[in-house]
Amino acid sequence: MSIYLDNAATSWPKHPEMLKAMAGYLEDAGGNPGRSGHSLSAAAARVVFETRSLLARLFGVAVVDQVIFTKNATEALNIVLFGFLLSGDHVLTTSVEHNAVMRPLRHLERSGVEITVIPCDNRGYLDVEDLKKAITPKTKLIAMTHASNVIGTILPIAKAGQIAREAGIRLLVDASQTAGMEDIDMERDCIDALAFTGHKSLGGPQGTGGLALRPDFTIQPLIYGGTGSFSESEIQPDFLPDQLESGTINAIGIAGLGASVSWLLSEGLPRIREHKKNLIRQFIEGASNIPGITLYGSSNPVDNAGVVSLNLNGVVCSELGMVLDQAYGILTRTGLHCAPAAHKTIGTFPQGTVRFSVSAFTTTEEIDITLHALRAIAAASSETE
Amino acid sequence: MNSECGVITFFSSQHAVHAEKVLKEHGFKIEMIPGPKEISPNCGVAIKYDYVLTESVKTLLESCNVSVEAFHSYKLPERKSLLDKIMGR
Repeated sequence: MSIYLDNAATSWPKHPEMLKAMAGYLEDAGGNPGRSGHSLSAAAARVVFETRSLLARLFGVAVVDQVIFTKNATEALNIVLFGFLLSGDHVLTTSVEHNAVMRPLRHLERSGVEITVIPCDNRGYLDVEDLKKAITPKTKLIAMTHASNVIGTILPIAKAGQIAREAGIRLLVDASQTAGMEDIDMERDCIDALAFTGHKSLGGPQGTGGLALRPDFTIQPLIYGGTGSFSESEIQPDFLPDQLESGTINAIGIAGLGASVSWLLSEGLPRIREHKKNLIRQFIEGASNIPGITLYGSSNPVDNAGVVSLNLNGVVCSELGMVLDQAYGILTRTGLHCAPAAHKTIGTFPQGTVRFSVSAFTTTEEIDITLHALRAIAAASSETE
Repeated sequence: MNSECGVITFFSSQHAVHAEKVLKEHGFKIEMIPGPKEISPNCGVAIKYDYVLTESVKTLLESCNVSVEAFHSYKLPERKSLLDKIMGR
């Protein structure tokens, strides 16, 4: 039996209700939502609407139509970055971003968008005053992650939102590591655009994700095409969600996502969050006492979104990951985690780290076994030949 | 465990699993391994094979349009690996 600690890549296992909802979708719905008038199309549309409503509730979105489905958070981030920024605009971002933010920005930089990367400290903390100071008359957007996917450190998005609001600029948040765990409220936190993935802490299947937008934030589509609405017109509709949802959506995936979000809401995010933070506390306390182990990021679980990175002295991270897998069945992710900037920030570029990430279903026993394994490996690696 | 082996590195994990499938189907004895640090592949996984078979492995992968980054000759460390120590081998 495996111990799955790679939930920051994708959560596993999934809730049984999610699997049932996906099978149920094909049995009882299964039409193309919004494309036809028949009963199976309407049933599919209802399923999609239900998930949209649940997500709106989860993220404090007042108007349900402002939640757009995409295939992942990367697509949602690209929609905003390419649909909003123009040559000559200035954008602020942080030094712990995933490539889902960095690569589109570096591409846009070549077409005249100016980028300033605000450095975080080596534990991933961001001083929002640095954001404030970097704003220029050309600044249009702050694009930042809610939590590092490498070390889990949570960034102060609400404070960034306040700064953005006062400066009259927009805030785009990458909530890939926090949606379904941390408390996010678009109104309260002054978030203009929230990109989320469905298959991590939200517990849905891969291929689901989305974007929540404030009603006054207009974005040009990246993809144009059929929406099932205004079929007589060859011009893209200008209303949401249709404007940003061309082509048949992943309705079966969205059905699964709806079931898992429904479970999260009934269980209560605070309870799940407390469970995950307790696991992180247990892991950090245990691992920090193992000779040869270096932990990265904050030592305070309150500031951590369920992700810990470490290295063992004298052992390459990929080898440590392989030993954990093959000798103990403990599944982690090694290397650079698609976030070279974050690794440069914490001083682990290019060698990388071994990353452990928990879910709502991870148990304290699993963390105990993992710590025991790390102790045994550390002892074996320090033995002289 | 001190023999020389071959290691194939890849740009993408999709290329690695493509190569694994093709090589296994043709009866090659191979193993997916994490990239040794001296080689450090882009996608995190590499394939270990018998180095003396390099030419036939190359030809086969090429004929099946499998993309590879590079073929390396790799000398396994003389000392016991960490995994061997843990497994008591």
